[in-house]
Amino acid sequence: MSGDVSMADVSVGNTEEIAVEDDKMTILPGMASDGSAASFKIKDEDHTLGNTLRYMIMKNPDVEFCGYSIPHPNDNHMHLRIQTYGEITAIEALQKGLRDLVDVCDVVENKFRDEYNKGDYVQEEIA
Amino acid sequence: MAEPEVTVRKAGKDNVDVVLENMDLSLVNSMRRVFLSEIPTVAIDLVEVEANTSVLADEFLSHRLGLIPLDSSLANELEYTRDCDCEIYCDKCSVVLTLNAVCNTDSTLDVYSSDINVAVPARSDDSIGRPIQSSTDERGILIARLRKNQELRVKCIAKKGIAKEHAKWSPCSGIAFEYDPWNKLKHTDLWYEVDADKEWPKSKNCDYEEPPNLHDKFDYNAVPRKFYMNVETTGQLKPDVVFERGIHVLETKLAEIALALSKAEEETDW
Ligand SMILES: [Zn+2]
Repeated sequence: MSGDVSMADVSVGNTEEIAVEDDKMTILPGMASDGSAASFKIKDEDHTLGNTLRYMIMKNPDVEFCGYSIPHPNDNHMHLRIQTYGEITAIEALQKGLRDLVDVCDVVENKFRDEYNKGDYVQEEIA
Repeated sequence: MAEPEVTVRKAGKDNVDVVLENMDLSLVNSMRRVFLSEIPTVAIDLVEVEANTSVLADEFLSHRLGLIPLDSSLANELEYTRDCDCEIYCDKCSVVLTLNAVCNTDSTLDVYSSDINVAVPARSDDSIGRPIQSSTDERGILIARLRKNQELRVKCIAKKGIAKEHAKWSPCSGIAFEYDPWNKLKHTDLWYEVDADKEWPKSKNCDYEEPPNLHDKFDYNAVPRKFYMNVETTGQLKPDVVFERGIHVLETKLAEIALALSKAEEETDW
């Protein structure tokens, strides 16, 4: 596999230590031999992450399909399916999706901070 | 797509009204979901009742105490008890509060949230776990009313948690969320008797968007691009703090997935 980009260094606003359980993610059996299609099982995640990650990954022109599902409401995990056109692997598509989403979050946070500090809006009595 | 834009329309002590543009519905919805239920705060989680001769049952009282908003600006300094080395609770994962009240008069005694004291303000700042005070009602929330000779003596242990576990940990009392106020996208099907336009009140957000032109064809490629969000807090956290911490929670989730992915890659037998 060519998933050699280290994603452990995804920049997070404040660099706190991030730890995950060993079974946070599993790559489900049946991955395409060239890595262009794969399904992932992600523990303890739901629509909060699934929907927006699905959107970000689909925006990548190298990606043919991305979808997520929550197989059963009683089970605390989410499935994510990615199929690419073969230019990149599904794992790389996921890595890019995660990175892009962090970037958007950073932009939104910074813009909010700037706007809020500018104080150029209706200010209710702050008692 | 153009870069995301954020406009603050209004802000106060416990609410912030923002307009988010050039973002996808899914991301704005993720933010809403995280603000509501995944930002850590502190709330009373264990109550040791030493004396309760009031008319309220112990569990009823405990429930009321749990719902009292406590200052959570420093919640990130606390550990979750499940990650802590202690048995039940300790300084690292909890804040101890006490409530002592006795009625000695012929008239009733009202016990308010402002009567709760932080037992050991051990941390860098003693604001953590302090019941929220607003200037409009200085005494806070009414917890119980005692008659002559009735007494309350309780020790409350406040812990860090998120609202996915119990709503008392939610920093938000509500989030107003709207897009496409003219319903041009037809995501909503308005019920009506004769004419939906006349029977439904217009949203105030309509002023921020062009009204639909009757002769325009329906644009089936259109997607929502402008979102109106009003974050209202309980006082546990300031609204701008909710916004920032919420985004951090989301980013942390993404970083966790990235880390988990690299682990899964190592472990998978190709
Ligand atoms: Zn502890």
